[in-house]
Amino acid sequence: MSEAMPQAAGFRVRASGQRRWLGKVRRILLELRDSIVQAAVSLVSHKLRAALTISGIAIGIMAVMIIFMVQAGIQASMVKALNTLGPNTLFVHKWKWGVNGNDWWKYKNRPQVSTLDWKALQQNTTLPVAIAAMVNTPAVVSMGAREVKNVDVRGTVDGYLDATGWQIRRGRFITALDQELGSDACIIGADIEDAFFKGQDPLGQQIRIGASLRCSIVGIFGRKGTAFGNPQDLRVIIPLATFMRTFGMKRGLVVAVVAPEGKVRETEDEVTAVMRNARHLSPDQDDNFSVNRQDKLLEGFNQTMMATNITGILVGLITAVVAGIGIMNILLVSVKERTREIGIRRALGARRTTILMQFLCEAIMVAIVGGFVGVVMGSGAAALIDMISPVAAAVDPRVVIGGLVGSALLGAGFGLWPAMTAAFLQPIEALRYE
Amino acid sequence: MALIELDHIVKTYDLGLSKVPALRDIHFNIERGEFVAIVGQSGSGKSTLMNIIGCLDVPTSGHYQLSGRDVSTLSDDELADVRNLEIGFVFQSFQLLPRASALENVELPLIYRGIGKKERRERAVEALKLVTLEDRMEHRPAELSGGQRQRVAIARALVTQPSLLLADEPTGNLDSRTGEEIVGLFLELHKKGNTIILVTHEPKLAARCPRAVRIVDGLVIADGPGRQVAMANAEALGAEALATFLAADKSQGARP
Repeated sequence: MSEAMPQAAGFRVRASGQRRWLGKVRRILLELRDSIVQAAVSLVSHKLRAALTISGIAIGIMAVMIIFMVQAGIQASMVKALNTLGPNTLFVHKWKWGVNGNDWWKYKNRPQVSTLDWKALQQNTTLPVAIAAMVNTPAVVSMGAREVKNVDVRGTVDGYLDATGWQIRRGRFITALDQELGSDACIIGADIEDAFFKGQDPLGQQIRIGASLRCSIVGIFGRKGTAFGNPQDLRVIIPLATFMRTFGMKRGLVVAVVAPEGKVRETEDEVTAVMRNARHLSPDQDDNFSVNRQDKLLEGFNQTMMATNITGILVGLITAVVAGIGIMNILLVSVKERTREIGIRRALGARRTTILMQFLCEAIMVAIVGGFVGVVMGSGAAALIDMISPVAAAVDPRVVIGGLVGSALLGAGFGLWPAMTAAFLQPIEALRYE
Repeated sequence: MALIELDHIVKTYDLGLSKVPALRDIHFNIERGEFVAIVGQSGSGKSTLMNIIGCLDVPTSGHYQLSGRDVSTLSDDELADVRNLEIGFVFQSFQLLPRASALENVELPLIYRGIGKKERRERAVEALKLVTLEDRMEHRPAELSGGQRQRVAIARALVTQPSLLLADEPTGNLDSRTGEEIVGLFLELHKKGNTIILVTHEPKLAARCPRAVRIVDGLVIADGPGRQVAMANAEALGAEALATFLAADKSQGARP
């Protein structure tokens, strides 16, 4: 008996403690709801003031969103494009990819990669699965009175398909014989097909490249879409020899070398050795050519992306501060205006935290509404960019959520100080405020 | 045990250069169910005393016990809770939230007590009925007359069923007839058992309260039945007026 009593009492204490805790939670929830309603009323009853602050935040969020979305779009198309190059493909070129700035002159003065280099590579290497030399230039392509400008006209050889993974939809590709003869065979991209041959069969038809070169269509590529923000289907391929004859012998080539799976390193070494030999470089001379891999390109690209990333973050920070000052301003005005209300609430039993919560709610609400408008505007801008530019600016849900969460944090951050001044007002002073 | 025990309350305002004593030594009790007027001229310290009794401020020294609890040492949050649970305020300038309806104004203190929407509404309607404003519940303060606003404020003070109704010059912003109405309401509430403290500078109002405490320069100088204290006050005021009159007369008489 005597043992049971304190136990029971202890239980009762615990139960009432729990009830008190529940009561606290209940009170906080009720206060929160009231705060949200008050915040909404406050915004609605000061439409112009709220709208100005909201537009400030919205524009900021939109700007940051556009930067990140365009960037993500560029990155996505870059990665896609790089994947079309193939991870095992090496590119022998005068230029080293992904290099910009100070080394420019060093590369500028190197000799171009020539057909001789290409032939040396073809004859003296053992590892590569495919080798293709290529060169390109933008040119006008016409058929009768119709013409298309800025077509990517490419001279290449029969190994091209193996080296790049492009596929012929109909007809055939350039043969070794075409290259040998410098024939007038050409393969057209899907955009050229659309431009000249609506419903007709292009095979066997003739088109004119530049001013004088007439070519017969022997093959059509399948549609590829865009890469690096450029349409890939606006192209015509002709034999390398024909290209050189027409556009000049001095043009530099890129030689694509496909290494067998898992032997990229060895192939790179072999290609380097053959090239050095072909160019009669003594052991103490540096390479006067570059063997590029796509990951090198990605590296350079990533460096560029990092720069725009930092720009994006800086712009974001600046707009955040500007928008935050706007929030702080509207909240300070609101606190001043409602000083008496604060006094009344405090007299009726509101705690400091209650007042703090009330004004933080208002700040966060302004910010979230601003963030929402910004996200909507940003998405609209992204759709517009997507429509009128080659960059695929996609609305990433993470960007949307980030925009909303970010603006809420912004509101809380910049609203804190004004809300604190409200919470720490003396009730008597606040009640007397006129 | 008295509801309010004021034990040698001193309040000094520190204005940096000088210390201003607002309350010098206030020492009296108020029992549950009393209706007490605190009378004094502006600057007498009666507002300071009201703030301390209302737990809006704490004394510099001395102890203040409300319902047996020493509130002179409580933290800010604890004071807020005491205000919510124990005290119903009625202010001279009504102090209603302008953007909220009468009903919402009356509901407000119940939010800080964690009472749910339905019960809140019921209790607020009940309180508004008590001040006969049930047909004005959805009106905003701007749409109500002064007397109606003060009745909303009284309903708000009553809705929490506080131990103490604390009214600071409740008729100060009203015309005499409406003021009379409000005083009538207080007397009625007193009859129902509410403890009421009415802070005023009008001896006429104090005369109608069962008990009055007169404060001059931060000291209690009279404490007794309202009529008596008010009379003494009037006498003092009368003597003062006479003295001024005589002084003025003397100076006139001195003229050649």
